[in-house]
Amino acid sequence: MRTNKQDTPQTTPRRSDEPIWWSLFSAGGVCVAMLVPAIALLVLLGIPLGLVSAEQLSYQRLHALVFHPLGLGVVLGALVLPLFHAMHRIHHGLHDLKLAHGQLAKWLCYGSAIVLSTVAIALWLLSAF
Amino acid sequence: MSRKPYQPPMPASWWLKHPAYRFYMLREATVLPLLFFVASLLYGLYALGQGEASWLQYLSWLQQPWVIALNSLALVASLFHAWTFFVLFPQVMPLRLGSRTLPAWLMVSAQWAGVLLVFVALWWLLGGLDAHQ
Repeated sequence: MRTNKQDTPQTTPRRSDEPIWWSLFSAGGVCVAMLVPAIALLVLLGIPLGLVSAEQLSYQRLHALVFHPLGLGVVLGALVLPLFHAMHRIHHGLHDLKLAHGQLAKWLCYGSAIVLSTVAIALWLLSAF
Repeated sequence: MSRKPYQPPMPASWWLKHPAYRFYMLREATVLPLLFFVASLLYGLYALGQGEASWLQYLSWLQQPWVIALNSLALVASLFHAWTFFVLFPQVMPLRLGSRTLPAWLMVSAQWAGVLLVFVALWWLLGGLDAHQ
Protein backbone atom coordinates (compact mmCIF):
# COMPACT_ATOMS: atom_id res chain seq x y z
CA MET A 1 0.00 0.00 0.00
CA ARG A 2 1.39 3.35 -1.04
CA THR A 3 0.38 6.15 1.31
CA ASN A 4 0.77 9.82 0.75
CA LYS A 5 2.77 11.39 3.56
CA GLN A 6 1.65 14.96 2.97
CA ASP A 7 -2.08 14.19 3.14
CA THR A 8 -2.49 16.19 -0.06
CA PRO A 9 -3.58 14.52 -3.28
CA GLN A 10 -0.78 13.94 -5.75
CA THR A 11 -1.30 15.86 -8.96
CA THR A 12 0.10 13.12 -11.20
CA PRO A 13 -0.79 9.65 -9.94
CA ARG A 14 1.82 6.99 -10.68
CA ARG A 15 0.66 4.24 -13.00
CA SER A 16 0.81 0.92 -11.13
CA ASP A 17 2.83 -1.97 -12.56
CA GLU A 18 0.67 -4.51 -10.69
CA PRO A 19 -1.59 -5.40 -13.69
CA ILE A 20 1.48 -6.78 -15.50
CA TRP A 21 2.38 -9.16 -12.66
CA TRP A 22 -1.22 -10.23 -12.02
CA SER A 23 -1.78 -10.92 -15.74
CA LEU A 24 1.37 -13.05 -15.94
CA PHE A 25 0.32 -14.82 -12.70
CA SER A 26 -3.13 -15.55 -14.09
CA ALA A 27 -1.92 -16.74 -17.50
CA GLY A 28 0.69 -18.85 -15.72
CA GLY A 29 -2.03 -20.36 -13.52
CA VAL A 30 -3.94 -21.57 -16.58
CA CYS A 31 -0.74 -23.04 -18.07
CA VAL A 32 0.19 -24.82 -14.82
CA ALA A 33 -3.27 -26.40 -14.62
CA MET A 34 -3.48 -27.37 -18.31
CA LEU A 35 0.11 -28.28 -19.31
CA VAL A 36 2.06 -29.28 -16.20
CA PRO A 37 0.18 -32.55 -15.41
CA ALA A 38 0.73 -33.94 -18.94
CA ILE A 39 4.42 -32.92 -19.13
CA ALA A 40 5.14 -34.18 -15.61
CA LEU A 41 3.41 -37.53 -16.26
CA LEU A 42 4.74 -38.23 -19.77
CA VAL A 43 8.17 -36.57 -19.88
CA LEU A 44 9.56 -36.13 -16.36
CA LEU A 45 7.93 -39.23 -14.84
CA GLY A 46 7.15 -41.10 -18.07
CA ILE A 47 9.94 -43.68 -17.91
CA PRO A 48 9.76 -44.41 -14.14
CA LEU A 49 5.96 -44.78 -14.35
CA GLY A 50 6.24 -46.96 -17.46
CA LEU A 51 3.95 -44.67 -19.47
CA VAL A 52 6.53 -44.13 -22.23
CA SER A 53 9.65 -45.99 -23.36
CA ALA A 54 13.15 -44.50 -23.52
CA GLU A 55 12.80 -44.77 -27.31
CA GLN A 56 9.73 -42.50 -27.23
CA LEU A 57 11.82 -39.87 -25.41
CA SER A 58 14.72 -40.26 -27.87
CA TYR A 59 17.04 -37.34 -28.56
CA GLN A 60 15.96 -37.17 -32.23
CA ARG A 61 12.22 -37.02 -31.43
CA LEU A 62 12.48 -34.53 -28.55
CA HIS A 63 14.92 -32.31 -30.45
CA ALA A 64 12.53 -32.19 -33.44
CA LEU A 65 9.52 -31.47 -31.19
CA VAL A 66 11.03 -28.89 -28.83
CA PHE A 67 13.05 -26.94 -31.41
CA HIS A 68 10.18 -26.89 -33.93
CA PRO A 69 9.03 -23.23 -34.47
CA LEU A 70 5.92 -24.01 -32.38
CA GLY A 71 8.19 -25.29 -29.61
CA LEU A 72 8.75 -21.71 -28.47
CA GLY A 73 5.08 -21.68 -27.46
CA VAL A 74 5.72 -24.75 -25.32
CA VAL A 75 8.73 -23.06 -23.69
CA LEU A 76 6.56 -20.02 -22.92
CA GLY A 77 3.56 -22.06 -21.70
CA ALA A 78 5.36 -24.75 -19.74
CA LEU A 79 8.33 -22.81 -18.40
CA VAL A 80 8.17 -19.00 -18.63
CA LEU A 81 4.55 -18.36 -17.56
CA PRO A 82 4.59 -20.99 -14.75
CA LEU A 83 7.81 -19.33 -13.51
CA PHE A 84 6.12 -15.91 -13.29
CA HIS A 85 3.12 -17.60 -11.63
CA ALA A 86 5.40 -19.20 -9.02
CA MET A 87 7.45 -16.09 -8.29
CA HIS A 88 4.29 -14.00 -7.92
CA ARG A 89 2.93 -16.41 -5.28
CA ILE A 90 6.33 -16.49 -3.55
CA HIS A 91 6.44 -12.68 -3.51
CA HIS A 92 3.00 -12.51 -1.88
CA GLY A 93 3.80 -15.51 0.35
CA LEU A 94 6.88 -13.75 1.76
CA HIS A 95 4.60 -10.85 2.66
CA ASP A 96 1.93 -13.16 4.15
CA LEU A 97 4.52 -14.93 6.31
CA LYS A 98 5.99 -11.55 7.33
CA LEU A 99 9.38 -12.64 6.02
CA ALA A 100 9.94 -9.82 3.58
CA HIS A 101 8.05 -7.06 1.93
CA GLY A 102 8.86 -3.95 -0.02
CA GLN A 103 10.59 -3.15 -3.25
CA LEU A 104 13.70 -5.32 -2.76
CA ALA A 105 11.74 -8.56 -2.24
CA LYS A 106 9.47 -7.66 -5.13
CA TRP A 107 12.30 -7.07 -7.58
CA LEU A 108 14.24 -10.13 -6.40
CA CYS A 109 11.15 -12.27 -7.11
CA TYR A 110 10.16 -10.82 -10.46
CA GLY A 111 13.79 -10.18 -11.41
CA SER A 112 14.73 -13.85 -11.00
CA ALA A 113 11.70 -14.82 -13.11
CA ILE A 114 12.81 -12.37 -15.81
CA VAL A 115 16.44 -13.59 -15.76
CA LEU A 116 15.54 -17.32 -15.88
CA SER A 117 12.95 -16.71 -18.63
CA THR A 118 15.60 -14.91 -20.68
CA VAL A 119 17.96 -17.87 -20.19
CA ALA A 120 15.23 -20.32 -21.31
CA ILE A 121 14.33 -18.31 -24.41
CA ALA A 122 18.03 -17.82 -25.28
CA LEU A 123 18.68 -21.58 -24.94
CA TRP A 124 15.76 -22.28 -27.26
CA LEU A 125 16.85 -19.67 -29.83
CA LEU A 126 20.46 -20.95 -29.85
CA SER A 127 19.34 -24.52 -30.63
CA ALA A 128 16.41 -23.75 -32.93
CA PHE A 129 18.44 -21.65 -35.37
CA MET B 1 -3.48 14.02 11.86
CA SER B 2 -2.50 13.09 15.38
CA ARG B 3 -5.00 10.29 15.90
CA LYS B 4 -3.50 6.89 16.60
CA PRO B 5 -5.74 4.22 15.10
CA TYR B 6 -5.72 0.85 16.85
CA GLN B 7 -3.64 -1.64 14.95
CA PRO B 8 -4.47 -5.22 15.90
CA PRO B 9 -1.37 -7.40 16.34
CA MET B 10 -0.71 -9.79 13.45
CA PRO B 11 1.73 -12.59 14.28
CA ALA B 12 3.48 -14.38 11.40
CA SER B 13 1.66 -17.56 12.44
CA TRP B 14 -1.80 -16.08 11.68
CA TRP B 15 -2.45 -18.61 8.93
CA LEU B 16 -2.27 -21.58 11.34
CA LYS B 17 -5.34 -20.39 13.21
CA HIS B 18 -8.17 -21.31 10.84
CA PRO B 19 -8.70 -24.23 8.43
CA ALA B 20 -9.49 -21.78 5.60
CA TYR B 21 -6.18 -19.95 6.16
CA ARG B 22 -4.27 -23.24 6.19
CA PHE B 23 -5.96 -24.25 2.94
CA TYR B 24 -4.96 -20.89 1.42
CA MET B 25 -1.33 -21.42 2.47
CA LEU B 26 -1.32 -24.98 1.12
CA ARG B 27 -2.50 -23.67 -2.25
CA GLU B 28 0.19 -20.97 -2.20
CA ALA B 29 2.78 -23.65 -1.36
CA THR B 30 1.99 -25.59 -4.57
CA VAL B 31 4.48 -23.27 -6.32
CA LEU B 32 7.44 -24.70 -4.35
CA PRO B 33 7.39 -28.10 -6.12
CA LEU B 34 6.42 -26.20 -9.29
CA LEU B 35 9.77 -24.40 -9.09
CA PHE B 36 11.48 -27.81 -9.14
CA PHE B 37 9.40 -28.75 -12.20
CA VAL B 38 10.52 -25.52 -13.94
CA ALA B 39 14.16 -26.21 -12.99
CA SER B 40 13.85 -29.75 -14.41
CA LEU B 41 12.52 -28.38 -17.70
CA LEU B 42 15.26 -25.75 -17.87
CA TYR B 43 17.90 -28.44 -17.32
CA GLY B 44 16.20 -30.58 -19.98
CA LEU B 45 16.17 -27.70 -22.46
CA TYR B 46 19.89 -27.16 -21.85
CA ALA B 47 20.70 -30.88 -22.15
CA LEU B 48 18.70 -31.19 -25.38
CA GLY B 49 20.70 -28.33 -26.89
CA GLN B 50 24.04 -29.90 -25.89
CA GLY B 51 23.64 -33.11 -27.90
CA GLU B 52 22.59 -36.73 -27.58
CA ALA B 53 25.06 -37.72 -24.85
CA SER B 54 23.91 -35.01 -22.47
CA TRP B 55 20.23 -35.76 -23.26
CA LEU B 56 20.78 -39.43 -22.24
CA GLN B 57 22.48 -38.19 -19.08
CA TYR B 58 19.40 -36.03 -18.42
CA LEU B 59 17.06 -39.02 -18.87
CA SER B 60 19.04 -41.00 -16.29
CA TRP B 61 19.04 -37.98 -13.93
CA LEU B 62 15.21 -38.00 -14.18
CA GLN B 63 15.22 -41.57 -12.86
CA GLN B 64 17.01 -40.84 -9.60
CA PRO B 65 14.71 -41.52 -6.61
CA TRP B 66 14.84 -37.96 -5.18
CA VAL B 67 14.11 -36.45 -8.61
CA ILE B 68 11.16 -38.83 -9.07
CA ALA B 69 9.90 -37.89 -5.57
CA LEU B 70 10.07 -34.13 -6.19
CA ASN B 71 8.53 -34.40 -9.66
CA SER B 72 5.72 -36.59 -8.27
CA LEU B 73 5.10 -33.89 -5.67
CA ALA B 74 5.02 -31.30 -8.47
CA LEU B 75 2.46 -33.42 -10.34
CA VAL B 76 0.18 -33.72 -7.29
CA ALA B 77 0.61 -29.99 -6.57
CA SER B 78 -0.31 -29.08 -10.16
CA LEU B 79 -3.48 -31.21 -9.97
CA PHE B 80 -4.43 -29.59 -6.65
CA HIS B 81 -3.76 -26.15 -8.11
CA ALA B 82 -5.82 -27.09 -11.19
CA TRP B 83 -8.75 -28.10 -9.00
CA THR B 84 -8.70 -24.79 -7.07
CA PHE B 85 -8.27 -22.82 -10.32
CA PHE B 86 -11.04 -24.61 -12.22
CA VAL B 87 -13.72 -24.11 -9.54
CA LEU B 88 -12.88 -20.38 -9.51
CA PHE B 89 -13.57 -19.89 -13.23
CA PRO B 90 -17.41 -20.19 -13.14
CA GLN B 91 -17.44 -17.81 -10.16
CA VAL B 92 -15.15 -15.18 -11.67
CA MET B 93 -16.45 -15.38 -15.24
CA PRO B 94 -19.91 -17.00 -15.49
CA LEU B 95 -20.70 -17.78 -19.12
CA ARG B 96 -24.20 -17.08 -20.45
CA LEU B 97 -25.95 -18.82 -23.31
CA GLY B 98 -28.92 -16.59 -24.09
CA SER B 99 -30.69 -16.05 -20.78
CA ARG B 100 -29.25 -19.15 -19.12
CA THR B 101 -25.96 -19.30 -17.20
CA LEU B 102 -23.84 -22.38 -17.90
CA PRO B 103 -23.86 -24.60 -14.78
CA ALA B 104 -20.64 -24.51 -12.78
CA TRP B 105 -20.13 -28.30 -12.93
CA LEU B 106 -20.15 -28.14 -16.74
CA MET B 107 -17.45 -25.44 -16.84
CA VAL B 108 -15.31 -27.32 -14.32
CA SER B 109 -15.70 -30.60 -16.25
CA ALA B 110 -14.83 -28.87 -19.53
CA GLN B 111 -11.56 -27.66 -18.01
CA TRP B 112 -10.68 -31.17 -16.78
CA ALA B 113 -11.48 -32.42 -20.28
CA GLY B 114 -8.91 -29.86 -21.51
CA VAL B 115 -6.26 -31.36 -19.19
CA LEU B 116 -7.06 -34.82 -20.57
CA LEU B 117 -6.91 -33.52 -24.15
CA VAL B 118 -3.44 -32.04 -23.58
CA PHE B 119 -2.34 -35.37 -22.08
CA VAL B 120 -3.61 -37.36 -25.08
CA ALA B 121 -2.11 -34.85 -27.56
CA LEU B 122 1.33 -35.08 -25.92
CA TRP B 123 1.08 -38.88 -25.77
CA TRP B 124 0.34 -38.86 -29.51
CA LEU B 125 3.23 -36.46 -30.23
CA LEU B 126 5.56 -38.84 -28.36
CA GLY B 127 4.55 -41.63 -30.72
CA GLY B 128 2.19 -43.30 -28.28
CA LEU B 129 0.24 -44.90 -31.13
CA ASP B 130 3.29 -46.44 -32.82
CA ALA B 131 4.75 -47.69 -29.56
CA HIS B 132 1.64 -49.71 -28.69
CA GLN B 133 0.90 -51.31 -32.04
